Formats: sequence, C-alpha cells, structure tokens
Amino acid sequence: MARIRGKAKKAEIITLEEAVKKYMHDGIQCAFSGFTGFNRNPMAFAWETVRQGIKDIHVIDRHGSNCTWLLNTVGAIKIYETDWMGWGEMAGKLDINMERIYKAGKMILEDYSHGSMAMRFLAGAIGAPFIPYYAPLGSDLYNPDYDALGRAGLRNGKNPRIAKKKFIQIEEPFFGDGEVILLPAARPELAIIHVAQVGEKGTARWRGIGTIDKEIAFACDKVVITAEEIVPEAEMRKEPEANQIPFFTVDAIVEVPWGGFPSGVPFYYDYDAPFMREMDKVSRNEEDLKKWLDEWVFSPKSWEDFIVKLGAKRLLDLKADSTTGYSTRMRRGKNPAPRMKMPLSVARSGY
Amino acid sequence: MAKTMEELMELIDRIPDEPAQNGEFILPELMAIAIAHEVRNDDIVFAGTGLPMVGIMAANMLNAPNAVLIYEAGICDGKTMHVPMSVSDQRAANMSSCLGGLVDTFGYYLQQGFVTLGFLGGAAIDKYGGVNVTSIGDYYAPAHRFTGSGGNADIGTMAKRTAFIILQEKRRFLERNDYTTTPGWWCWDFKTREWKPKKEVWKGTPFADCGPVAVVTNMAVYRFDENGIMYLETYHPGLTVEKVKDNCGFDLNVSVVKGETRRPTYRELFVVREFVDPELIFLPQKMEYPPEIKAIIEG
Repeated sequence: MARIRGKAKKAEIITLEEAVKKYMHDGIQCAFSGFTGFNRNPMAFAWETVRQGIKDIHVIDRHGSNCTWLLNTVGAIKIYETDWMGWGEMAGKLDINMERIYKAGKMILEDYSHGSMAMRFLAGAIGAPFIPYYAPLGSDLYNPDYDALGRAGLRNGKNPRIAKKKFIQIEEPFFGDGEVILLPAARPELAIIHVAQVGEKGTARWRGIGTIDKEIAFACDKVVITAEEIVPEAEMRKEPEANQIPFFTVDAIVEVPWGGFPSGVPFYYDYDAPFMREMDKVSRNEEDLKKWLDEWVFSPKSWEDFIVKLGAKRLLDLKADSTTGYSTRMRRGKNPAPRMKMPLSVARSGY
Repeated sequence: MAKTMEELMELIDRIPDEPAQNGEFILPELMAIAIAHEVRNDDIVFAGTGLPMVGIMAANMLNAPNAVLIYEAGICDGKTMHVPMSVSDQRAANMSSCLGGLVDTFGYYLQQGFVTLGFLGGAAIDKYGGVNVTSIGDYYAPAHRFTGSGGNADIGTMAKRTAFIILQEKRRFLERNDYTTTPGWWCWDFKTREWKPKKEVWKGTPFADCGPVAVVTNMAVYRFDENGIMYLETYHPGLTVEKVKDNCGFDLNVSVVKGETRRPTYRELFVVREFVDPELIFLPQKMEYPPEIKAIIEG
C-alpha cells in the first residue's frame, strides 16, 4: 500500500533502553546503518535488543554486521533479506551462527546482490514502488525457482512490507535497451542509524563513507538515530552541506558514545579488529559463545559499563587521528602501522 | 636505526626490477603482483575485499599509479597509506576525490558504465568464468552456505573486464556451478530456460560484452578464448601443467600455455612488503631479502 508521510516528525531524545522498548518489537522489519562490521554499526542498539529478548526479526539490509552477528548468536533473526550474510570481512567472513541456524531450517534467507539492495532502498527512499536495474541477468539470484519468501508463502500480500514478487524481468520498453530486472522498493518499519553528530532537533551527520544510510532513513517508516554526541542544532546549521539526514524524518535520538563499537566511526574511533577476531573465534564453539555472551552482553549493567570494561588502554589505541580519521596506534596485524606522510602512489606519480 | 618511510621511498628506484629467484618470495606475494599487472594505468577499478584489494593497492603503487580505485561502500579514487581491512575502511577513503554511498558506486559509476575493471574473489568457478559465492548443493538445503553475492554479481557482470582471484581445488573448478551467483560468458536465460552465451542473454543492454578476462589462483593464471571458455595461460613456479590439470574439475585447455607465471621482481617485492602490507595483515610473513638487496636497503 502506498504511504503518505504527513507532517514533520518531532524527534524525542530518549535513552537506549527506552528506544529499544518503544521502537523494537517481535517480528519487526528493520535495517541497520553502516557497512559490514567495520563502519558505523548501531551496535549498542542491537546489544540492547538482545538484552530485551526481542525475537523473530525480519532484517532487510545490504549485508551483515556486528548487529546481525549479535542477533544471530541468540537466534533473534527469523527472516534475513540481504545480499551478503557475512559480517566481518577480513576479521571473520562467514557468520557461523547464521549458517548453523539457516541449515537447521530456523531462518528464511532471501538473496539479492549488493547493487540491487542499494537500488531497492533508493526506490524506497524516493517513494517509487520499484526500480529497474540490469545486474545480474542470468544469475541464480533471478532464478524463478529460488524465491525463499515466495516458497514460504509470504508473498501473498498480507504483509505490506513484503513485496508480492521477488523481481520481474521485462524487455526495456522505452529505449529498447535489452532485458532489465524490476526490483521492489524496500519499505521497512524501522531504520537504526548510527552517526557522529546529531542536533537536538534531529539533523544528523556522519563523516566518511555513506553506504546507503540516507536511503535507509527515507525508506523506513520510523527512524532512530544513535549518535556519538548530541550537539546544538544551531551548530549543525553552520555547514549544512555536511549533513545527510533532515530532522523531519527522525523519530528518536539516543546519545551513546562508543555506540558503534567494535565497528569504527570515522574521526571518532577505529574498528577493533582483535575484538572482532575474538567474536569470530567464540562463535565456532557453543560453550565459548555462551561465556562470551554472559561476559559481554548480559553481565554489563549498561552500554557505558560495557565500554568501561574494555579499558582505557584499548580506547586510547582506538581513538582516531584527527587528520586521517582512523587510528595508527591500533595493532591490526603482526606489525605496528608505519608512520606515513603521503601515499606512495601520490608521492611518486601525483593524481 | 630503522629507516623512515620517506627514506624507504627514495630507495625504490635503486632496487633492481629483475625477477626474484624461487624461494625468495611467497605465494601470496606472487599472486598479489600477478593481479596488479592486470591493472592498466587508465583503468577505473572496482575491487572487493581481501586479496583483490591488496592487488589493486600494489598496482597503484607499481605499474598503474593513476588507475582510479572504487570501493563499493562509496569511495572514489582512494589513495591509501595503510592497507584497508574492509571496503568501508576509512583507510581506503584517504585522499579520495569524492565520498558517497552504494548508489554512487553501483549506480552512478558501475551501471553508468564507467568501470573498466572489476576485481573479485569467489568460492567456485565454472569453465565459462561463472562464479558461485552462494551455496554448494541444493540451494534450499545446502551442504555449504557462503556469504552470497555482495557486490560480486553486479561488478562481475557490469565492469568491462573482470579478474577473479580464487583458491584452486578440483571441487572449486567446475564444468557447471551448483549455483551461479555471477554469470560468466555463458548463463541461463530464465525466460526460455536455456543455457546461452551471455552476449545473447544481455543482448541490447550496455553490458553484453562485459565479463571475465582473467583468473588468478594459487596455482596458475587463466584467460578466456573467443567462445568464452577458460584456458591455462601460465602455471606458477615450481608447478607443472599436469599438477594444474589434476586440480581442475573440467577438461582444461592447456594447448596454448606460455610457461611459468612471471616471477615478481625485487622492486615489486620491496613495494609490497614495505608499503602495501608492512603490518602483515594479509601476508602471513615477511621473507628475508637476499644479501645484495639487503645491502641497498641498509646501505
């Protein structure tokens, strides 16, 4: 059903606990911000979601992240509509729990490609019901027999957030440019976006890559912004070209410093590769995972308590350099990062 | 005393650009440099996470300093100083010309036809260059479930040329994949339910001539003939044609093999070790340089 947005929203500033309690519920369809496990994951929000025991979630997103990894450890995701089910790229590619749950038949997995999910959110964001996209014709992604939501009987129109078809292939009717795929818009209920700064009215900003967070914010009915810091709205108006999310889309604001950990927030802190490698390691053994969850999810009294538990040394190492936006003190590999002044390609050959 | 990065930079032109001897380099170095040589200086390259990213970083520092590197999270022409662990790593965004998001990279750059070279990994590949990164066995009840497409299917079908980096085993080099995530030169026409050349399925679209041109594995380098079928070009030093054939699940054309894969030069190794991955994130170890190279570096 087509949606009319109506009047501007008035964002409320609430706590993490209140935000999850008010905006999450069993069976919700939602999308998370950031990119895989590395950039601006609203991890504190996902962490609180697990603590509050929300289940049967329909995640519709362009890839996994620390958020989906954590939700999968307790089997909280029932439908996973995405294009990349990994989470940690070079720190832990496959989500072991996801694979286990899926193979046990406890999860519906709907496959798309990265570009096609981006296009679905773009359609959702601009209020279009569908969008044409070429890739990838001839892939099993568009094999009519491989439609997991259809097979589960969920494309019957009863849930307005699940499209009646996975895709349609047509002959391009305007210019004669071959066959093209029509993809349904993504229209989730809730977007959870982690940003660097948000004004108290809701105007939000990040630095670094944008992934599809602006599209997600507009495609979803409700938007919760979690932010490293809430700043005076007037400050956000000094450089409006640096803002991405207009306040009238935002329902709730949560200030949660280090709320993206262990992913990074450019110019605030880096991702914690060793912490993510440990997450990958414990996910391979049920006993280890249970211990990890007890220690890191259920024992801390609050997210602040979780961050304090990491220790000052770790946070100092992760603190981003003010010029590059990442940390050169963090040990990611066997050797420390070298002190560079200029990229080699630029130093030798310019641009 | 350890040299600064600027002092190391000044040494590059003094390191001989001559092939290193077997035993002086490791396989991941050979592969990263083989990949780098696929990049041309005027390419706009779209690369996936992992070894592909290391390869194009090496290219940018060696043979293709002006190649434009696109990373899918929204990065245009990143000039990295430290090796990224993700395509969304702030390190990959260093000194980039523009930052945006996926709509920029997959829409404005890729579907618009700007991308000339894609660099991707894969779990399995068929003889037409079709890649599976989704599942092994029955799709709905798989023996193995992988991550799924990510950008693989988009980049692999819409970049003008695509190179794949794949671990070679008999069960990964197949006549036909269980699941085709990224179609190669032959694919299904699901409208007529026929297996057809990509050129026919994609006829009339801007991407009918786009597809795989090279595959680099831990054993060899492959190319594609005019029928879109993979053939052996070179095998890595220390291996033989027979050994490569033994690790291939389809009847491999070896009739035009050129011999051994080009060994990396000392200069290339120096750049990869000191500038691409000195932190040893991707490379498992750093080998000792032979005495004459060591003398130049320490001199």
